[in-house]
Formats: sequence, C-alpha cells, structure tokens
Amino acid sequence: MVNLYQFIPEIFILSLILITLCFGLFNKDRAVSLNTLGFILLSILLLNYGKEFYSSTQISLNTINLFVLSKIILSIGSIVFILLLKRPLKNENLYRYEYVLFLLFAILGSFVLISSNNFLTAFIGLELQSLSLYLMAAFNTKNLSSNEAGIKYFSLGALSSGFLLFGISMIYYDTGSFNIQYLDNLTAISEIGLSLVLISLFFKVSAAPFHIWTPDVYEGSPTISTLFFATLPKFASLIFLFRVYQELNISEIKSLNYIFQMVCAISLLVGVYGAITQKVIKRLLAFSSINHIGFMLLGIMSYQFMSEGTLFFYLIIYLITTFGIFAVLLNLRTVDGEFTKISQLNGLRFTSNSKSISMLVFFFSLSGIPPFAGFFAKFFILSASINDGFILLSIIAVLSSVIAAFYYLTIIKNMFFNKSEIELLDDNNKTGKVIFISSGLIITLFFIYPDPLINLVDTLFK
Amino acid sequence: MSFPILSLLILTPIIGALTLSLSSSTQLKNKTIFLSGLWITTGEFLLSLLLPIFYDKSKNGYQFIEFHTWFDKFDINYYVGVDGVSIPLILLTTFLVPICLLCSINSIQNRAKEFVIYFLLLESFIIGVFVSIDLVIFYVFFEAVLIPMFLIIGIWGGENRLYATFKFFLYTLAGSVLMLLAIIYIISKVKSGNIELISDFTFDQQIQLVLFLCFFASFAVKVPMFPFHTWLPDAHVQAPTSGSVILAGVLLKLGAYGFIRLSLPFFEYASIYFQPMIFALSCVAIVYTSIVALRQLDMKKMIAYSSVAHMGFVTIGIFTLTQDGINGAYFQMISHGIVSAALFLIVGVLYERHHTRMISDYSGVTNVMPKYSFFFMIFMLSSVGLPGTSGFVGEFLVIMSTISVSVYLTFFTAIGVILGASYMLLLYKNINFGDLKSDIKQLADLTNIEIFYFSCLAFLTMLLGIYPKLLFEMINKSISLSII
Repeated sequence: MVNLYQFIPEIFILSLILITLCFGLFNKDRAVSLNTLGFILLSILLLNYGKEFYSSTQISLNTINLFVLSKIILSIGSIVFILLLKRPLKNENLYRYEYVLFLLFAILGSFVLISSNNFLTAFIGLELQSLSLYLMAAFNTKNLSSNEAGIKYFSLGALSSGFLLFGISMIYYDTGSFNIQYLDNLTAISEIGLSLVLISLFFKVSAAPFHIWTPDVYEGSPTISTLFFATLPKFASLIFLFRVYQELNISEIKSLNYIFQMVCAISLLVGVYGAITQKVIKRLLAFSSINHIGFMLLGIMSYQFMSEGTLFFYLIIYLITTFGIFAVLLNLRTVDGEFTKISQLNGLRFTSNSKSISMLVFFFSLSGIPPFAGFFAKFFILSASINDGFILLSIIAVLSSVIAAFYYLTIIKNMFFNKSEIELLDDNNKTGKVIFISSGLIITLFFIYPDPLINLVDTLFK
Repeated sequence: MSFPILSLLILTPIIGALTLSLSSSTQLKNKTIFLSGLWITTGEFLLSLLLPIFYDKSKNGYQFIEFHTWFDKFDINYYVGVDGVSIPLILLTTFLVPICLLCSINSIQNRAKEFVIYFLLLESFIIGVFVSIDLVIFYVFFEAVLIPMFLIIGIWGGENRLYATFKFFLYTLAGSVLMLLAIIYIISKVKSGNIELISDFTFDQQIQLVLFLCFFASFAVKVPMFPFHTWLPDAHVQAPTSGSVILAGVLLKLGAYGFIRLSLPFFEYASIYFQPMIFALSCVAIVYTSIVALRQLDMKKMIAYSSVAHMGFVTIGIFTLTQDGINGAYFQMISHGIVSAALFLIVGVLYERHHTRMISDYSGVTNVMPKYSFFFMIFMLSSVGLPGTSGFVGEFLVIMSTISVSVYLTFFTAIGVILGASYMLLLYKNINFGDLKSDIKQLADLTNIEIFYFSCLAFLTMLLGIYPKLLFEMINKSISLSII
C-alpha cells in the first residue's frame, strides 16, 4: 500500500488543475482568482505541515527541508505570478484560462522534479514542466516571433530530453537501477551517462555553453512568459541539479567535477560578454541570467561550507529581484505595443519616480553593490567558494560581476541621465506596482534587518 | 558612553533623505529644499563636534563603541567605534557637506531634491566607512559611496559626464572586488570580521603579499596612486563643483585611511616588502603629475592633477612606517581635504559666473574681484605649502621622515614641492594678474554666502598651520598603535 500522505502537495495541485479545467470554461476571472487562493492555501499548508508530509518516508531530514523550502518558494512565486499575469495578457488579447493551466502543469512538474528520487520520475516531472513552457512561449499565436520562440524552445528542448533519456538508460544499463543514489563503483558507461544527464540539466537552467536558446526564447515569448521562464522552472531545475550533485557525490568524480567547474566558468564569462552589446532588454536579461547561473553553480559546488543556505539565499534574492524587474517592465508600454529596447527606457526618471528608483535598486542589487541584498547573496556564495578552495572561480566570478556592472549601469544611465525620446505609457497596474515596490523594499531593507530572510533559510535547515 | 552617537551620525542624513523624498516635490521650492538639507547637515556637523569633546585622548583603542549582531553565522557584526584616526576625517566630512550644499544653491537648478538626497546619503555612507571596525560593514559602506557619487556626476556633470562617471565607477569597483575576495579570505581564516582581532592575527608571509596587493588594488585606485589615477581628472572635470569638492575633500581620503587602518596593521611583513614599490609609484606620481599639471589649460584639470601629486606625499608618508611620517601624511590628508576643496570652490565661483574653465579665458580678475583674489591667494599659498598654512606642516613632516629612509626619496619629494609652487603660482598669475579682458569686466565679486564659506575654510587652514598640535594631540596615540 503506497502511502499517499507524501503526495499531498502534488495532489493538491492536480485537484486545482481539475477545478480550473471545469471552472475556467464558465468564468475565467473566477478561475484565476481561485488559483491565487489555492496557492495561498498550499503555501500555508506547506509552511505548517510541510515536514510531516514526508515523516513516514526514509528520506533524510536535510532533504525533507530542501523539498519543503523549495516547494514553499515555488508556491509563493506562483501566487505573485498569477497576480501579475492578468493585465499583460489582457493587453495582448491573450487572456485565457488555459494560460493558468499551463502554469499549473509546469508547477506540478517542478514539484515532481524536486522531490523525485528516481531518474524516471524526474524525467516525467521535467517533461511535464518543459511541455508547458513550450506552450507558454508560443502562447501569442498571432505573433511570428512568439511562434518562433516556441518552436526553437521545443526542438532544442526535445534534443536535451533525448540526452537525458539516453543518459538515464546508460546508467540503468550499468547499475540496473533508476534510483538517484550514490554509485560506488563508477564505470565509464555510467560516467558518460551521468555527464549526459548533467548536460540536459545545464540546458534546462541555461548554463553556458548550453544556453543558445535562452536569448531567442526570452526575446520572442510574451514578456509574462519570459518572467516565468526566468524564475520558477529554472529554480526547480536548479534545485534538482543540486540534488543530483549532492546525492551522486559528483564532487568526488573527477571528470564530472571538471565539467561542472568549466560550465560554471563559461557561464560566468559568456553571460557578461553576451550582455554587453545587447540593445533589447529581454536579451540582456537573458544573458545576465546566464551570468547569475554561473554564480549559482558556484554555490552548488561549495555547498559543504554552509549547507544549502548560501544557494537558497542567492536564489531567493535573485527571484525577488527578477520578479521586481519584470513587474516594472510589464507595467510599461509604448504606443506601438510592448516595449522592447533598452533605449526606450530613456528618461524613465521623469515619467515615474517609483519605477525608476525600484529599477535602480534592482540593477545595483544584481550587480552586487552594497548595501543591497544582491551584494550579500554574492558575498555568501563567494565566502562558501573561497572556503571550499575555488579561488580561481571566485576571481572569475568577481571580475565578471565588474563587467556586469557596466551593462547594469548603462540601463541606469538610460533611465536617469538621458532625456526621454519615446513616450512610455504607464499601465498603472496596481498589483504590479505593489509587487515591484515591495520587492524593492525587501532588497533595500535587508541590509538593515537581515534576520527574517536568514532565519527562514536557517530554520528550515536545522 | 551609552548614547549611540555614531549610529545617530550615520542615521541622521538617511532619515533626512527619507523625509525629503517623501515630501512632494511640486510644492517645495529649490531654496526650501536646500535650506532643509543645510539644516540637517549643520545639525550633523554640530553632532559630530561632540566626538572630539567627549573623546578621551589618554585611552588606547576605540571609543563610543556600539555592537549589534548582524549575521550570526559568520560572526559579522554591526560594530562601530572611533579612535583618533577617524575623528578628524569625520569632522572634515560633516564640515564639507554643508559647504557643498551652500555652493550649489544657485548652480543646481533642476532636480534639486534628488541632489540634496544623494548628498545626504553620500554623507552617511562616508561616515559609515570611518566609524566601522568590522571589515564587512567597512566594505559595505566603502562600496555604497559609489552609488550616490555615480548619480551626482552623471546627472549634474558636464558634457562628457557619462564617460567620466562610468570610468569612475568601474575603476573603483574593479579595485574593490579584489579587496572583497581578500576580506572573505581573511574572515574565513580569522573567523571574525573584527579589525582588532585581525590585527593581532599573523598571516603567512606569502599570503600576506597577495592579500596586501588585493587591498592595495582597491585603495590605490581610491587614493589615487600613479598608474591608477586616470579616472580622477575626468571625474573632477565633469563633476559639478560640489561633486569635485566632496571627491577631492573626502573620497580620496578613503583610500589613504584604508592604508592606515587596514593595510599597515594587518600585513606588517608585506608593508615593509612593498615599501620600495610604493615609494617609486608615489615619486612618479609626484613628479610626473606635477609636470602634467604645469601644462594644463583647464583649471579644474590642473587642480585634479595637483591632487594626485599631493596624495603622493600622503602615500610616501604612510609607508615610511614612522610616527612622523604617518603623522605628516595624516596632516597632509586633512590639509589637502580643506585646501583642494577650497580650490575647487574657487574654480566653481569663476565657472558659475563666466561658464568656462579655460585658464586662457581669464586675465586680470583681481581688478573686478578683489575679495576673490584674496581668498584664492590664501588657498593657493596653502597648497604650495607656505609656512603658517596647513599645507606646510604635512609636507614638512613627510619630507623630514623620508630622510631616514633614503635621501633620493627626499630629493624627489622636495622636487614635488618646487613643481607644486610653480604650477600653482602660474595658475594664480594667469588668472588674477595681467590685463583685464573685456568680456570679464562685468563679473561680480563674491557674494556674502561665498565669503562666509571661504572664510571658514581659510580660518581652518590658518588655524591648523599655526597650531598643528590641535590635530596631533588627537591622532598621535592612535597612529603610534598602527606602526609596526
């Protein structure tokens, strides 16, 4: 008899999906707000009883904490996302309840992915997540570039899934098991298999050199979908990557560890060099996310120093910042439609105080200038990596963040120093405004009162 | 004393900035905004005057200490306190910021509210650097200073301001991140960010060399020392007058302060090891930038290069590693803070009236602006190092202490003094004497506000020049502790 207790979060989402499917036919507004409510309920459920769901299993306490915390973050992120999505979709005439369904499927996939102990389950979770993402990318069916983005994402994603399956089958051939567990006598075949698994995961988190899809997909998709790609699924895949790294003890396997370090260094550098010349803000954010993935990989590699705390802290800050930036971007429109170019941000300072100052905070935070929270996130990652002896990677990381400062400053320059050329229409979306102002406040005030965030990460890992 | 005076010093400008930012800008006139900014900063100055009054000069170590845990896990704490080395610099900061606001009342017309807010934030960050005795909080403030400065130069600067402000920001950041890595390494070794604890810790010699270079990268850019100085003339020329004043007056001192506070006590072996390199770079800085200054056509650029030369004296003095040398260097820092700030204000006065900084556009100014020429003369002579002004004491002590190291060093340092005299006198002569140009006949002399702040600055220069003991009493003990 299978104990269903541990599947409560997944079952919860599944029932949300079913309800939305039936309900959305009649009243899409209600269906969407129902989902907000559902995710709030789920977050409360996870916060209070999260650990008890897994108490009957044999999973170690540490891993349980990992599951619970990442699921809490995912459901809170979904709340924010659902609150945000209405207005931008309406602006593009795309407001349909199916969009929320895709979101739900993607989150379900992420939940399954995070807590899977088996490569096949992980594959199912990953595919469920990815298929919803392809659809979200191509959601604007009348727009050519959105279609292009969807197809590009799909074809390349399918290739990477092929890699994943091939890798899993090689491991299965060698060990006769699908379990994600420590392999004692590693043979060449399972080493190759593992590296294939890693490659497909690198693809999902868009680490360089497996990043080629990122700028195109980010640019082509509707902005609201771009926000989703940049945050929650990436978060889930990264957590899974972290679990693979930890459970399979990849730091002990020389060749794979080498791949890991190379990918980390390449991501750090490709991210910044790609971003410097970009004129389109979503492309710039795509490359900057690659740079940040480099930092996160560094955090994964040096988890021994401070357990998962550093990585989670970085991820949380990164999610908050990204949500803030996109909330601002979604709130701005030009006369011709969605605004795309960095130069269109010119003179934002004169149009809107709150937006320009929040953007200033976000970009200084992303470039790791104190006193904003982004600095502390980088500081902890670097502390961990230096303690674990990754001196060279740390140097590459900080130098890359100096180069990164250049293009973040360029955006700030456009907003604060230049005169506006194009009239930006203010959407005056109240929820969006609340979201970017509150994330701006979190990023700024963290410096004065770091305890709540630190404690949240800490208590769950004790 | 349990009264949290240091936190109050950090918080007052921030709270002022917050209140200003919450007030609606359409209702307030520029003048009201500047006046409220002035009230806040003057209050801050009066508050900071409590520090030297209540500071106990006979005791060792830090005073007015405040301690709050910040990040338990790393033993990083909000740990602030002051000693003799930091108090004069805090006073200099709180003294210069009101003057910066005063001098921009007329010149900053657009976005006055933002301007005052950035200046208030800048002030609190700078004070934060001087009071922190924890490495991480030091770094946080040290870097945070960049943000308001970046915006001040970028928004209110001259025509080439974007280039200047990007160069300023990226140069400083590139230097600082290496220091960040070194700080992280030190914290991982010592298991604490406390500066006193780290000073007691001895690192391996090889590691010391690397760590020293990391700190050096950051401070040398800030000071700025010879090969890293190129951002300074650009930043100065493009910055608004008030920006130049605070840049030359206080921001350059952050680097030298870092050398005295961190580099010397942490890395004793490395400080001796790198002594020749620093002397060489400083000598080059003194001689080379003085010669460059001699050939400048732009007044601001000339004074910017003279700043590099004067800061060369400071680094030489610090790395003689003798009490006299560091005392002299410190004195030179304070003196340069006052004098170069005053000189940038002097340039600003002319620029505001005639909208050009070219030396060749002026001639015979003394005919129309006698009071102006008078103040110009005081600051020019102080910059040259005339006995009786503050410039003399610092330079004299530094040159004297170099004799114990090497006579060649003394020779080059002394050449710097001569060159300094030549370019400053040349500048003064070209602007003030000669035939009165027809297009500057209508220039108005100093206003009462300008006379007020120039006389404050002139008074300080003279006071320190005639009675240097005032400063030495304060710093002697603290500096003797940081000598190896």
